[in-house]
Amino acid sequence: MSGSYDNPGAPRRPPGQQPVYAPQPRPGQGPGQAQPIHDPYAYQQQYRDPPPQDPYYAPDYAEFYADEPGTGPPSVRVPAPSTAAQEAEQRELVAHSRNETALELRQTPIVPAGSVTGKSLTLVVSIMCFLACLTAGAVYMINQSAAAWLRDIASEVTVQIEPRDRVDMEKTIRDVSAYLTRQPGIVAAKPLSLNDSAELLEPWLGSADALKTLPMPRLIAVEVDRDTPPDFATLRGQLTKQFPAATLDDHRQWQQQIRAVTRSFALGGIAILLLVAAATTAIIVSATRSSMASNREIVEVLHYVGATDRLIAREFERHFLRLGIKAGMVGAICAIAVFLAMPLVMQTLGGGSVTQAEMSRLVGTGSLDLKGYLLLVGLVIVIAALCMLTSRFGVKRILHQQG
Amino acid sequence: MPLPQLTALLSKYETGGCRQGTSRPPYAQRPYPAVHGGHISVPQCSAIALDRAKAQGLSRDSPDEVATPVIQMRNVGLKYDRGPEVLRDLNIDIPPGSFHFLTGPSGAGKTSILRLMLLALKPTRGNIHLFNQDVTRLGTGRRAELRRRIGIVFQDFRLLDHMSTWENVALPLRVLGKDVEDYREDVTDLLQWVGLGDRMHAAPSVLSGGEKQRAAIARAVIGKPELLLADEPTGNVDPHMARRLLRLFVELNRLGTSVIIATHDHQLMRHHRAARIELFDGHVRIV
Repeated sequence: MSGSYDNPGAPRRPPGQQPVYAPQPRPGQGPGQAQPIHDPYAYQQQYRDPPPQDPYYAPDYAEFYADEPGTGPPSVRVPAPSTAAQEAEQRELVAHSRNETALELRQTPIVPAGSVTGKSLTLVVSIMCFLACLTAGAVYMINQSAAAWLRDIASEVTVQIEPRDRVDMEKTIRDVSAYLTRQPGIVAAKPLSLNDSAELLEPWLGSADALKTLPMPRLIAVEVDRDTPPDFATLRGQLTKQFPAATLDDHRQWQQQIRAVTRSFALGGIAILLLVAAATTAIIVSATRSSMASNREIVEVLHYVGATDRLIAREFERHFLRLGIKAGMVGAICAIAVFLAMPLVMQTLGGGSVTQAEMSRLVGTGSLDLKGYLLLVGLVIVIAALCMLTSRFGVKRILHQQG
Repeated sequence: MPLPQLTALLSKYETGGCRQGTSRPPYAQRPYPAVHGGHISVPQCSAIALDRAKAQGLSRDSPDEVATPVIQMRNVGLKYDRGPEVLRDLNIDIPPGSFHFLTGPSGAGKTSILRLMLLALKPTRGNIHLFNQDVTRLGTGRRAELRRRIGIVFQDFRLLDHMSTWENVALPLRVLGKDVEDYREDVTDLLQWVGLGDRMHAAPSVLSGGEKQRAAIARAVIGKPELLLADEPTGNVDPHMARRLLRLFVELNRLGTSVIIATHDHQLMRHHRAARIELFDGHVRIV
């Protein structure tokens, strides 16, 4: 056979003619003995690369490839005996496999999802998210109602006129009302009638009719312009100077108490949220550890094929992010359902004795507004991010420990 | 079937393939000392290389012209936990583009040497330079970079069971962040060539031992590594397929990859003449 893979057109070497570059046999390395070739340069010189001046270079690959017809470089290939039908079948097979590969665009995740995030983990994170959403929603709702109370209280002050001897009560009330109306920052001053005052005291002192005969302090409800409220200290001073029987109450003590209560609620809520976040982090850390352990072989193979720690961490965190979003949404939807059902529940539990209006005045509407729902969505994002980041740092730490 | 197809596939990435008419990879162009057998030290190696460089008219000021070994082990020792040293005083140079068989009786430490070369084990003592970099001082990022230049065939295959065979073979390219479209045909062609054309969508768990082995080999060579480490790559296949796989390694070697095959298959070693690293009693002898 003439020619070779490297030099297909080479004519057959005339018998007896040795190539000029043939290595001289060394002692102990004669024909038939193993000739260790330790050096690729020499190897190439000796076996592969003909000097251009040797037209007869044709290393004998034929023997090497002879055992399997149809393989090897074209110059030495023994054509495989094949029929047209076999060739057609082979072509079809190749085309088929190419098509199948083309169809298979979907890539299997390198780390299987099932081994990382199981159903129970999803359930636990869902419950955590539900609790977090419930807490956040409740705190938000209480804050909203407290703000409404404070607004109402801040827009109204009360002037109390004590009954004194030899003073015409009704005239004083009229004078004070007129005086107050003239002051800047005051929208209206509405004196409470004797009946109103008696009704206010009724729960404590009994029948209203009897009360009317007693000397009772009288009240004037003063509506304040919220945008430009008057200076209450000056107003109080002037009022007491002009009308010794009148005192002004701007409900400051009440406001402070309400603020204190709502702040303590908010603090409690934040503490619960922190606890939920800590518990979720701990769960994810432990889940990361166990998933790394169960996928140890995959991680090893990934390392050996040259994957960086970052890529491996990304493979794991992807699953945890998905888990966080899924579980977070389930938890948030449950919480939203609770908030939507809350007014109905309150009405049912109130048994009619507490009206809807009274209840909503006291604790708010019981359902969230748009901002509240956005808060819950934000919470889902935070929980998903928490899952992802926790797993990322967990995986990186474990990989670092493994060295 | 198509060896030229394979070589075309393999040389597609290589800027300088070794076929005639194309340029040679840079390391193959560099002078390298021709010493047959035995171990030579680095100074010797450099001296010979510099002599050759001088003879070729190259400047002594261009040390880059001297090919540096792909792997250089100096006085490497390895022991597991507190046991005895399983490998002692290893001094091995693997030149670029070389072909070595790594032989020795069972339990001699063949796999341990391969694991040292793959950076999967840290030597208890001694120095290992891989691609001219001291591996003891590498961060994880650099280590991953070096591993990308190495192809590995494990004795136990280590295929990922939840992926198809095709995806397993494509894994090194996927890990590199390449687009599927760029390597789809190459992976398919290589699988065809190793005889897994009709099994490429099967899960590795349903493949036979030989098929798994071929898939593992395809995974090792798909990235056209500069260094190929194979641990008993023909242990589970018939002699026919063994020779065919050996041919694949030889072709890769012809394209410039340094190949180290751990085996005690003498049949295989007879089929391809190459240097032998023989392990005995924790020591190494290059024949």
